[in-house]
Amino acid sequence: MAHWKKLSILTLILALLAIVPLVMELGSNVMNVMVTLFIYIILAQSWNLIGGYTGQVNLGIVAFFGISAMVTHFLWKAGAPIYLAIPTGSLSSVVLAALIGLPTLRLRGMYFAVGTLALAQAAQTIVANIFTRSVSMPGSFSATYSLMPRYYLGLIMVVIAITVVYVITRTKIGLAMVAIRDDEQAAQVTGVRVFKYKVIAFLISGILAGLAGGLYAYVRLSFWQISIVFSPSWTFDALLAVVIGGAGTLAGPVIGSVFLVVISEIFANTLGQAHLILFGLLFILVVIYFPYGLIGSVDRIHQLITRVRK
Amino acid sequence: MNAVIQTILIGIVIGALYGLVGLGFGLIMGVMKFVNIAHGSFIIIGGYIAYWVFTLWGVDPFLSIPAVMFVMFFMGLILYRLVLSPLLKYPRAEMRIDKSLLVTFGVTWILDNVVTMLWTSDTRSIVTAYTGTTFNVFGARLGLTGLIGLVIAVLVAVALQLLLTRTYFGKHVRAATEDSGAASLSGVNVQRTYLISCGIAAAMAGVAGVVIVSCYSIAPSMGLSWLLTAMVVIVLAGEGNIAYMLPAGLILGLIQAISTLFISCAYQQPISLIIFILVLMFKPNGLFARGR
Amino acid sequence: MLEISHIDVYYGDLQALWDVSLTIGDGEIVTLVGSNGAGKSTLMKTISGLLKIRAGYIDCDSIRLDRLPVHRIVEQGISMVPEGRRIFPQMSVLENLEMGASINPARKVRQHTLKRIYELFPILKDRAKQLAGTLSGGEQQMLAIGRALMSQPKILLIDEMSLGLSPLLVQEFCRVIKGINKLSKLTVFLVEQDVQLALSMAHRGYVIENGRIVGQGEAKELLCSEEIKEAYLGMEKADKT
Repeated sequence: MAHWKKLSILTLILALLAIVPLVMELGSNVMNVMVTLFIYIILAQSWNLIGGYTGQVNLGIVAFFGISAMVTHFLWKAGAPIYLAIPTGSLSSVVLAALIGLPTLRLRGMYFAVGTLALAQAAQTIVANIFTRSVSMPGSFSATYSLMPRYYLGLIMVVIAITVVYVITRTKIGLAMVAIRDDEQAAQVTGVRVFKYKVIAFLISGILAGLAGGLYAYVRLSFWQISIVFSPSWTFDALLAVVIGGAGTLAGPVIGSVFLVVISEIFANTLGQAHLILFGLLFILVVIYFPYGLIGSVDRIHQLITRVRK
Repeated sequence: MNAVIQTILIGIVIGALYGLVGLGFGLIMGVMKFVNIAHGSFIIIGGYIAYWVFTLWGVDPFLSIPAVMFVMFFMGLILYRLVLSPLLKYPRAEMRIDKSLLVTFGVTWILDNVVTMLWTSDTRSIVTAYTGTTFNVFGARLGLTGLIGLVIAVLVAVALQLLLTRTYFGKHVRAATEDSGAASLSGVNVQRTYLISCGIAAAMAGVAGVVIVSCYSIAPSMGLSWLLTAMVVIVLAGEGNIAYMLPAGLILGLIQAISTLFISCAYQQPISLIIFILVLMFKPNGLFARGR
Repeated sequence: MLEISHIDVYYGDLQALWDVSLTIGDGEIVTLVGSNGAGKSTLMKTISGLLKIRAGYIDCDSIRLDRLPVHRIVEQGISMVPEGRRIFPQMSVLENLEMGASINPARKVRQHTLKRIYELFPILKDRAKQLAGTLSGGEQQMLAIGRALMSQPKILLIDEMSLGLSPLLVQEFCRVIKGINKLSKLTVFLVEQDVQLALSMAHRGYVIENGRIVGQGEAKELLCSEEIKEAYLGMEKADKT
């Protein structure tokens, strides 16, 4: 597809997303689903950057999501405006990413994976031990609660996340990232500073995960137990979205998120917890048999067919 | 003085268990170069099987160990056949590791949800007639269940060591660990060796689960924290050093036990994480590595 | 008899062997010579099953080998001494040899085979309990050959035996291998960089260039042929001086 064609489709979708809620009453259900979708897309793009493009398996992305959600929540509650609280939350994710990334990214991939997983687990334990009671914003916030600003903030953040990934993957950093993913040793030998670029990719990924967490804290005012912002299910959902859509592509995580949110909406009520098991099976199948994701595989088959026709 | 002995006892009892947890995980990692994130969930499932057998038929948890091992062995075979063996088609080792991380994370997800559906997310433990029994050791108390757990952990570690050094199958495992290509050229059926190793690792996870549910408690969400423990043990022992797993587990157990004198035991997981990071930073080949 | 017929072999998308055919008769010593990267080791790996073929077939005493997994090919009586020896450094010498007798029939008679191998290489008996990684290069090569012989093969494939060994040791290995070939009618297929050595040991030889067989004949004839002299022996001499 030609470049301008893709761009115009994208603009069209964005315009639709921006205008429709203004001219139509979508209802809080649909709006809620849309905001959830935005959170997933941002989180999935965050995972995509480190996992999809750089090939470093992050099994604890929820740690960066969660810390930002918490920081945002408490800053906002303390009186900071939301447009300051979210960036600060995001910054805290970057600090945490540096803390776990610097010691583990030097080593082989699995230490990073287990280190991030352990970080997420430890964060959940610590938070669960500190905050044993429910946490929520004051009543005045829920009285004036409206989904509109959340929707538009989410939409803006999605645009930011996609732009960031798009721009980075088209610079020298992006080239280095892909080189590291494809063959770390070869990259090292040809002079790519592997560790440096892994850290850069991871920190930017941390910022994006932090944005998603901040948005979540803005959307959700009360938590029965705030440790649920560190629940491993966030990590799994982000991974699932990226893997289904196709890791290391710009559109993959977006399509994967849409797929995930839509299917969840359909099955969550009919199957209950069993739908999570189905998701798990789907995830494993895709990782083993469709390394380019479901969408990517369709694309590849299409390419093959056109090649054969020629 | 008593408090010190008590702490050391607690550390040794739980440390031996940590060693056991590390052994099963390390076996798969050493032999196949796969990281099995689901190992923690396997442990939990082993514990739940013992719990089930105990509540349904009143079978003593330690007597149910052979049955648990049998069931878990087959789960290990299934894991290998369905999930791990398809990954062998990837030519590069790093690729295989990354894929194994992803798929076994998926397996963890499935197992944890299945376990929650079957047994709810409540914390469970087995209380038998002798659960509260303790001995006096130099003025400190040692629980009977803890002692049995310690003996079992040591027995399993010794049995694995004998299996690896004295049997033909064990030598196949070691050969495949060192150089799978050369092993197959020598006539070793590497795939079968992988399959059985996976079964053995899962059976060992089952044993660990039984000890945990008898001495401590289990919940569906605990799988990942046990996995973290396994990983810390591996890092302490040095990758692939099966013989050092038990000592490494004991060291971790003692560190944690001593730390509880100063910090609430609720923070053991963060402490594990800190140990993990420190060892990776300063002794990436493990505590026992001779200056390489 | 081992028969390789019109095989094509690829590394991923890269073709490494084109339409390669050769036969190795019972009791023969056959060698494959060629320069670095000509496809010698590739052919070895293909026969032993480490690489799969895309066309043609490999057949040993009318049994198709090319569809079998590596360890089943060993069961068919074809054993390889891999390039770089690839012993198991963290296992003892004895354990390494035991690994060679992994297939069932060989395992039953392993004590007997072991005795024979200790006769061939007495030093391995002295070092039996030592870790294989502590052996010298020559001893490791003995171990690798011993391990391959433990499976009681009909055909022994040897990949780059002389690599990194002193000329004296190489002579010793040649003597041993010729001896086994004569005494127990073991068929040997040698791949060697040292063309002179290989052709002086073998009965017949094949020449491979860029993944294709370009010549064959009696070893003595090849040794005298002008092309071989020019292409390989001359180069060898130039290298040594």
